[in-house]
Amino acid sequence: MLEVKELTVCYDTAMLLNEVSMEVHRGELVSLIGPNGAGKTTLMRTISGLVLWEKQMKRGTRAGNITITGEVYFQGRRIDQLPPHQIARMGLVLCPERRRPFSELTVEENLGAGAYLVRHRRRYQDTLELVYRTFPVLKKRSRQISATLSGGEQQMLAIGRALMTRPLLLCIDEPSTGLSPLIKQELFARIKEINESGITMLLVEQDVNLTLAMSTRSYILSHSKIVARGDRNELLADETIRRSYLGL
Amino acid sequence: MLANILVTTLVNAAAYAMLAVGFSLIFGVGRIINLAHTAYYMLAGFSIYTLVATAGCPAAPAVLLTIALITVIAVLCYKLLIDPMREHETTVLIITIALALVFQELMLKYFGGQFRSVPSLARGFFVILGVQVTRQHALTCMVLVLILGAVWLLLQKTRLGLAIRATAQDKEVANLMGMDVSRIAAITAAISAALAATAGALVAPLNILEPHMWLHPLTIILAIVVLGGLGSIKGSILGAVIIALSESLVIFLLPQGSFLKGAFSLLIMIIVLLIRPEGLFGVALEGER
Ligand SMILES: Nc1ncnc2c1ncn2[C@@H]1O[C@H](COP(=O)(O)OP(=O)(O)OP(=O)(O)O)[C@@H](O)[C@H]1O
Ligand SMILES: [Mg+2]
Repeated sequence: MLEVKELTVCYDTAMLLNEVSMEVHRGELVSLIGPNGAGKTTLMRTISGLVLWEKQMKRGTRAGNITITGEVYFQGRRIDQLPPHQIARMGLVLCPERRRPFSELTVEENLGAGAYLVRHRRRYQDTLELVYRTFPVLKKRSRQISATLSGGEQQMLAIGRALMTRPLLLCIDEPSTGLSPLIKQELFARIKEINESGITMLLVEQDVNLTLAMSTRSYILSHSKIVARGDRNELLADETIRRSYLGL
Repeated sequence: MLANILVTTLVNAAAYAMLAVGFSLIFGVGRIINLAHTAYYMLAGFSIYTLVATAGCPAAPAVLLTIALITVIAVLCYKLLIDPMREHETTVLIITIALALVFQELMLKYFGGQFRSVPSLARGFFVILGVQVTRQHALTCMVLVLILGAVWLLLQKTRLGLAIRATAQDKEVANLMGMDVSRIAAITAAISAALAATAGALVAPLNILEPHMWLHPLTIILAIVVLGGLGSIKGSILGAVIIALSESLVIFLLPQGSFLKGAFSLLIMIIVLLIRPEGLFGVALEGER
């Protein structure tokens, strides 16, 4: 479904991704693990078109001196030259790092903004119900300004908003940051459910144990490179990987 | 006398609100401070003058034609000059002030610098609560308020309005939700210019027309949006009412000192900023990332 081929991204003189290749197949829940600063977010932003957009927006400035080489395919179509809104239209949607709700909009308006592409009234209602069923707390808070939600609620809102787009492949960047262990488990259970409902997922996470346990496969990214790949057992079987990358 | 002041205040407040709302909209969505905004208002005045006084066009089509014309000009300027420079804030300031000056010079060349007045678009007067109000004032005020209401509805109740508000909050996330943010910004630029053109077309007959007439409203609008909170629609409207009221108050209390009205508005702005630096409904501008 998603195929990344030798993707290299440089911001000015810094190489943030170094010939990264990976793939995600339909129905899978693939996770991407790695230490802080490894380039996970950069990979998500490149796949979803934000890095290219940033490059075009900031052209002519030093911050816009970005080079992207390599190829990204989604459902057989090359997407690395497309703007982010077209990639989203194809069904590849990123739920960004740090949640980023539209903070002055209410919960319901946030979800409505997510449903921008869903023009059909009936389909919109169905999707909204689905999101409210997955995250009942959002329904309770539907008229509240999203900036006033708790961290956990904001994360649910961010995922709910992404679900409103009706994605085929949902990428979530570090959903569990700053959440209590209990809420985290709850959230992971929801993410698993969403995956089981038929939405393919690419999940960036720091919590190695929980993530490995629920993923179909995982990639480990370190210092801009993919250093290991495989399912839980394969990764845990390798002593060096366990020690140096998983901290287990 | 008091009634006249009230009517003038209302018309001014509505016209300022129109201008300030448009200015705020494009600032919110594009982070563009468009110093040419009131130049569109000035152009609309000259367009109405040409159509009505010179070409003898009836009022309603003249107003519509003016709005369409100015909007097209503004969108062209946006796409060709402003949008490509969006990330360079200082350049945008310079480009837009240059644009305003170019429009001013063009009008000076074709119409000269003398003061002109536009014939009333609606003659006669109404009597409201025993007060004579010219039709032109009453209609202008009504239409402006109606349009402001329509803009509010557009922003609050429609899919486009939601997209505009979402884009104003976080362009990257708006992108991720499938919104074509550069198209939304262009549409916003069009709405913004159309509002300025409407204000110009309707208010021109009440005021004196001359090529420098963009400068005073620009100062006032900057005061209003800073007062109301940059980027806030609610703030722009409230700010417009406050400033229009203060202008009228100065004229009423100091009949000889009416030239002080601008200074007084700016004074109010400074006082508010000292107490609340983010303005009345200020949105703290967060980083985009
Ligand atoms: N716009 C940028 N310009 C230059 N360097 C950047 C830029 N954005 C990120 N970086 C750098 O790229 C590296 C990778 O960043 P990235 O955000 O992709 O890491 P990450 O794996 O998501 O980390 P974390 O787990 O902390 O979220 C970091 O060292 C960061 O400082
Ligand atoms: Mg990250």
